[in-house]
Amino acid sequence: MVKKVLIVDDDQEMLLSLEDGLSKYDETFSIATAEDGLGAVDQLKNSTISLVVTDLKMPKMDGFSLLSHIMEHYPEIPVIIITGYSTSEMERLAREGGAIGYIAKPFMIDDLAKRIITTLRREADGGTLHSVSSGIFLQLMEMEEKTCTLRLIEKSSGKQGILFFLDGQLLDARCDNLRGEAAAYEIFSWDDVSLSIQNSCPQREKRIHRDLQAILLDAMRLKDELRRMGKRATAGKKPSAQAKENIERARPVEKVKQFLKREVGEGYGIEDVYEDNSWESFVRGIRKLGVAFKAGEFKVAYVDRGDSKDFILLPGESVTVLAVNPKCARDRIMEALSE
Amino acid sequence: MKEIFNDILAIEDVHGVVFTSFEGEILFTEPSVETERSLPLFIRALGTIREVDLIFEKSRIYVRRTDTGYLVVLLGQFASGAMLRLHVDMVLPSLKEKGKGKGLRSLFKRNK
Repeated sequence: MVKKVLIVDDDQEMLLSLEDGLSKYDETFSIATAEDGLGAVDQLKNSTISLVVTDLKMPKMDGFSLLSHIMEHYPEIPVIIITGYSTSEMERLAREGGAIGYIAKPFMIDDLAKRIITTLRREADGGTLHSVSSGIFLQLMEMEEKTCTLRLIEKSSGKQGILFFLDGQLLDARCDNLRGEAAAYEIFSWDDVSLSIQNSCPQREKRIHRDLQAILLDAMRLKDELRRMGKRATAGKKPSAQAKENIERARPVEKVKQFLKREVGEGYGIEDVYEDNSWESFVRGIRKLGVAFKAGEFKVAYVDRGDSKDFILLPGESVTVLAVNPKCARDRIMEALSE
Repeated sequence: MKEIFNDILAIEDVHGVVFTSFEGEILFTEPSVETERSLPLFIRALGTIREVDLIFEKSRIYVRRTDTGYLVVLLGQFASGAMLRLHVDMVLPSLKEKGKGKGLRSLFKRNK
């Protein structure tokens, strides 16, 4: 199973030289390239990437933003940072951001290749199986309460998908640009697959809330029905109108809690959510500042007072305050709340 | 003193930098911005707050307390927060060093 490594760098000469230098390893991994973070995001969406090697300073979307995007949407994809502006602070930030490797330029291409191969081996540290029926195998994962990441390839189409199991529970699935149950339906409809097992599950967010057996049965039923219609099962799931209405009716704090649970997931350093009008005059000052800078409506603020907790403020009839751990997924929470 | 802030100004989607005293007096801006009284009032309201990141509908404002005053960075929605914070961290020692003993007003050319 040849893995695909995505190399991201705005220096075209560097890209060409890496492509050329790494071509001798093409039996182990193939190379895809992108010239900035946005190009990389597109490639991640449209193909199955096993590892990303990225520069930090790039136009449009820099390496830190790309790293944060990968950690949020593709936490199982390892990222190696290469940079020509290396400082210990940058290395610390890259590692805290989730990068598994940090290499200062200039470097030997063969050293990078060794790093890539060692990292890719971990993708299949639990073994590889060919020509198996995914349904039976997945039920075994559940019965044995396995924690693993499964990468599957459908033999007939070459399509690839990923399943995340934590203690036997199916947390999430991804296939092309499908996620969660929709991706699981697609993957479960495959008959003959090759799969590799990684004995860890970097994904922690639970996007699939139904029982594995129920999804497998539904996938089979959908497959049969759609096969009769000549289509493939790709059912998308959206929150019901009733669920949306319930959230709208809830109090602001409850709305924020439900929203964060849905969009950010459990944990992520959020310690408490409450209303606190002692922040009102500060929020009024922020609003005036927004008017002075023609910045538009105030959406959300992050406040660090140098204490053991930081605060995220949401304006409204009352100020909603999130007390957060200073090491929380700050940018992710802020981005979700500002939308 | 623009060179101190060159790396911050070079970050994608960063629109400008303002440096103020602890009382909110504007000591340096690039490019020149007119903020009426709202910025000094806001700065004075910060008290012991060391960092504020504000997201508005159209843009963002990042404020960081330094040893010699407050650094305010105006940025768009697409600027990388992590990259900005990294560069601000890197600028802090220069601001401390340059400000030692001389009084910042002598170092920053005022833009009016």
